[in-house]
Amino acid sequence: MTVEQGVQAVDQFPVGMRVLAVDDDQTCLLILETLLHRCQYHVTTTDKAQTALELLRENKNKFDLVISDVDMPDMDGFKLLELVGLEMDLPVIMLSAHSDPKYVMKGVKHGACDYLLKPVRIEELKNIWQHVVRKSKLKKMKGIVTNGESEGNSDQNGVRANRKRKDQLEEKDEEEQEQERGNDKKPRVIWTRELHNKFLAAVDHVGIKNAVPKKILDLMNVDNLTRENVASHLQKFRLALKKITNEAKQQANMAAANSHFMQMSSLKGFGSFHHSPIPLGSSQFHGGAATMRHYPSNRTFAGMFPHVSSSLPRNLHNDGGHMLQGTPFPPLENLHINSNNKAFPSFASQQSSLLVAPSMVLEGHQQSTSPSFSPHLEINKRLEDWSNNIPQSNVHSEPDALGWNMFGNSTNQTYFCRDTDFGSSSAAQADSLQMKQQHENIFSPMTVAQLLRSSSANEGLFMGQQKLENGFMASDAGSLDDIVNSMMTQEQSQAEFSEGDWVWVA
Amino acid sequence: MELAQMQKSLQDYTKSLFLEGVLDSQFLQLQQLQDESNPDFVSQVVTLFFQDSDRILNDLSLSLDQQVVDFKKVDPHVHQLKGSSSSIGAQRVKNACVVFRSFCEQQNVEACHRCLQQVKQEYYLVKNRLETLFKLEQQIVASGGMIPAMELGF
Repeated sequence: MTVEQGVQAVDQFPVGMRVLAVDDDQTCLLILETLLHRCQYHVTTTDKAQTALELLRENKNKFDLVISDVDMPDMDGFKLLELVGLEMDLPVIMLSAHSDPKYVMKGVKHGACDYLLKPVRIEELKNIWQHVVRKSKLKKMKGIVTNGESEGNSDQNGVRANRKRKDQLEEKDEEEQEQERGNDKKPRVIWTRELHNKFLAAVDHVGIKNAVPKKILDLMNVDNLTRENVASHLQKFRLALKKITNEAKQQANMAAANSHFMQMSSLKGFGSFHHSPIPLGSSQFHGGAATMRHYPSNRTFAGMFPHVSSSLPRNLHNDGGHMLQGTPFPPLENLHINSNNKAFPSFASQQSSLLVAPSMVLEGHQQSTSPSFSPHLEINKRLEDWSNNIPQSNVHSEPDALGWNMFGNSTNQTYFCRDTDFGSSSAAQADSLQMKQQHENIFSPMTVAQLLRSSSANEGLFMGQQKLENGFMASDAGSLDDIVNSMMTQEQSQAEFSEGDWVWVA
Repeated sequence: MELAQMQKSLQDYTKSLFLEGVLDSQFLQLQQLQDESNPDFVSQVVTLFFQDSDRILNDLSLSLDQQVVDFKKVDPHVHQLKGSSSSIGAQRVKNACVVFRSFCEQQNVEACHRCLQQVKQEYYLVKNRLETLFKLEQQIVASGGMIPAMELGF
């Protein structure tokens, strides 16, 4: 059996992996130890959590993995888990006779790599080495991100680096020293997407009002990043945001003057989304990296939207396959009104100002929605039906077309490209496309949205609540389905908005 | 007794324990862990189990006999007993513990007393059976034979 196990391991790694086993129950501890030995791990056991901590603190490199029981008399297993994770950053596996999911949840939340139920079986123990590999891989990757930057930096410090001619590690050390000394040849930090996202996450965490470079730096936990780097980046960020909010306010005021906009209060259910108009093709936006992004303020919103693939640009050509993703909005069925309505001209006057409800994502492709958002798919289907009924020209009357990014995270750089066409706008389309290309996810959704929210551009943006349709947005919609249903009934009951109300759904 | 006969008896006896549900597959795992490098593993573990369990059952009796029963003390004991009994494969003991715990949650003193009795009963049963099992094994070994590997066909 042992030979078999040895052969099964692809590399030699699992063999000899050092495990610390903690359980106050002697019987279980002995069994666990024997099982682990059978897996060819190197085992240390203790029946006291306190002892375990001491052993670990003594030399954190002595162990690769910790397995701990949950219910122990001298210390709660979860507490131990937390401490080990914080202090030593070792993978910890929880062990318990409690099969209650809430314990498992607790374990996971406290950072457990795995949660095993007693009685433990050897098959499960054979696999635990994966957690060690996984964890060390994550650490390595984190290192690579920062190493990559320092590698580029070392070239700039060529002279000094060459002098040493040692491996990269030492060069890195030297750079660190230089940075600390604060000499004039500071290595240049390149704010990669990942790095920027970390920055945003940190800012998000402390809150924009509280965002001080030191805190952000600590939260980011990136090597080779100095407070100064963060500070200058933060300054740029702030300036960019200020720009957006100012523009937002501007546009909001302009739009308010028209008073053809209605607010969809049901959006409240999704966390007060506000929208800011983003002029397309406006010269203001060029170079302003931050300015194109408007995001839903609610983080959970990201979970609502299917990830839109970059096949979106097709939509710009108004082939009628527009669908609202996420929250369904009435505009679609109202769109057909707009083609010949009076509101349109006035809107056209601020053609370049687009009030974008962050949640309005028009996408022609249902396929690109992720399957997990099935209620949205359903809604989209219905909306698609409506939009199909809308005469072609109406499609152009979307009030907003905007390239903006819903998801700021590095893995989902997806775009929602809205058609900016108000009848003319091929240029606008081009612009939106262009902008889309220009501005690739610089900011995460939530932070910008939060910032915007805090700047209280909010209320100004929800303008013209005047013409709320009956019952349309009377109350917070409890769910998307409710909204859809109410919309559908409204659609049926009121064929058109006579005076060409522009129903703006925010 | 013939060696072969003894071995057969052992096998039958062990089988019966499984069939009765006194022991479950976890016990088999323990047996599989026993090898030349660890020849007394099973008896070691089981002995530990007996020691721990005796202690726990004692504590439980004391706790439940109090005027005011402190279920916060009772529950962890039962939980531990459940854990250890499941680890060695003492299935019926484990099951009795599960029932016991649910009554603990309900804070039903009367029912808990009954449960304790049930647990004790199952425990003494398995203890008894296992001791017999070990005796049989010892006899076989003393006669120079090998303990047959247990194969569960059911």
